[in-house]
Amino acid sequence: MRVSRRMGRFLLYLIAIILSIIVLIPFLWAVSQSFTPASEIFSIPIHVIPAHPTLENYNVLFFKLGDVEIVRWFLNSLFVSTAVTLLILLFDSMAAFALSRLRFPGRMVVFFAFISTMLIPAQVTFIPLYVEMQKLGFLDSYNSLIWPYLANAFYVFLLRQFFQGIPRDLDEAAIVDGAGTFTIFWRVILPNTKSALAAVGILSFTAVWNDLFWPMVTINSVDLRTMPMGLTIMNLEYGGTPGPGLVMASAVIAFLPVLIVYTIFQRSIVEGISLTGLGGR
Amino acid sequence: MAMVQPALPAQPRRAARRRRQLKGLLTAVLFLAPYTLFFLAFLVWPIFYGLFISFHKWSLFPGQNEPFVGLDNYRTLLSDQEWWTALQNTVEFTIITVVLTFVVALGAAMLVSANLKGQTLFRLIFFAPVVLSVAVVGLVWTSMWNTDIGLVNNLLNRVNLPSVEWLSSVNLVIPSLSITTAWWGFGLPMIIFLAGLRGIPPSLYDAAKVDGAGPGAVFVRITLPLLRPTILFVLVTQIIAQFQVFGQPLILTNSGGPGTASMTVILYLYQVAWKFYNLGYAATIAFALALIMGVVTAIQFIFLGREVEY
Repeated sequence: MRVSRRMGRFLLYLIAIILSIIVLIPFLWAVSQSFTPASEIFSIPIHVIPAHPTLENYNVLFFKLGDVEIVRWFLNSLFVSTAVTLLILLFDSMAAFALSRLRFPGRMVVFFAFISTMLIPAQVTFIPLYVEMQKLGFLDSYNSLIWPYLANAFYVFLLRQFFQGIPRDLDEAAIVDGAGTFTIFWRVILPNTKSALAAVGILSFTAVWNDLFWPMVTINSVDLRTMPMGLTIMNLEYGGTPGPGLVMASAVIAFLPVLIVYTIFQRSIVEGISLTGLGGR
Repeated sequence: MAMVQPALPAQPRRAARRRRQLKGLLTAVLFLAPYTLFFLAFLVWPIFYGLFISFHKWSLFPGQNEPFVGLDNYRTLLSDQEWWTALQNTVEFTIITVVLTFVVALGAAMLVSANLKGQTLFRLIFFAPVVLSVAVVGLVWTSMWNTDIGLVNNLLNRVNLPSVEWLSSVNLVIPSLSITTAWWGFGLPMIIFLAGLRGIPPSLYDAAKVDGAGPGAVFVRITLPLLRPTILFVLVTQIIAQFQVFGQPLILTNSGGPGTASMTVILYLYQVAWKFYNLGYAATIAFALALIMGVVTAIQFIFLGREVEY
């Protein structure tokens, strides 16, 4: 009995370590390829670790190609994701506050109108939204990369659920102290739902940061590309020559900062996701 | 209560109440307005506008006339071989990916919750691919699967197995995309399973141990039944997510190759609209997909949605 228990533990460790290696290998492969000179990448049998590591791929990536502006794409993604997230946090928590705390005729109707759209998959809106962007003159500008993302009802729903969980005694205590509606929202509700706000912020930020479809169809200019879009097009253009080393260098530049941020904030990211019970995709 | 209140004349009292109600309504409108503006403009309006577009011959380029064609686009859909191929590929991809993701995610969740040393590190590693964008995943795995210079075939060759054409073989391309996607995404349902596992009362496990139940019996009789709401949630969200696959075939198989072997519905919609400039038909595809997804989701709720009793 005892021996089989110990065997069981050993087996669990073995599986966990094997799974970890499978998860880590593609990252290491990308890093290794990014330091491999083109001459070595195509030589067979391949080198898993470059025999003559080089920085040439990074040099080409940053300085040699006119239509590759990877730093700019990174900043575009950062700007767009941050703007969308801040606006969502403000507007959606205001709406959620009204639905949770204010009394007005038709409150439930509004709430159900919001959540009923969550049943409709997003791609139904792709084509009409595109035509709308066209008519508004928003195509190929930050306008198309920011405003449409603010319509998602899911975050309003989530925030309203969290707001419902805050005891109303807190509101009433504030009212006794002479607080108005806005003060209750700003000083009572928001400070008491910091972890929920963080979770919604993480979800919306990663959703926008990782989106590929919408930038691909609305953006034309090289200097307005987001990171995923820039990488995708670059892979099409340069995947053959100068080749995989360059593409892997761009992948490393894309995932390194994300992985660093993730490692630092992993606890709140993971907790945020189990808190909301839902991921972004 | 009423007796203590100062006796105001009926008229001003009603007026005061109405003023208060009006002020409350105004405050509510003020709080709701910013979000509702975007909700109406970029969600509600497009849904109806999309339906409108699907009944028209509508070009990508503005300024052309858009004649009403009734149900023509829907008729075209029914006899469009490429749409059926795309749908079949999407269903195949969804099934393989969801099964793979489900099994690995549940297994990983049980590993992480098994009180191993370093479980935080394991969780950190397992979840890491989730934070990547599909573009990064696509780039890295294009290189991993490459027939001649990819790592997967290199490892196979090292143990004297022959190279395999992962992405350029009609039969293997979808499973390869599924493995890639499961690698990318299993960490997310793992977190949800972890939360579900934490919700199972430990007393049940203790009782089972007293009764002499082995690990297999505990898993089948306790863990799985009590996890059913979580399982339903994971299945529904996973199927919806995988049905919308777009970036993986766009990047890994150069837009659905070889031939149309990995053409998926959203990729097809993308091509119809932005390669063939046919927005009317693309809008029709979107509605057809939404209908199919709605039916699939409803079926899952019917089969898995019963109440769970402890």
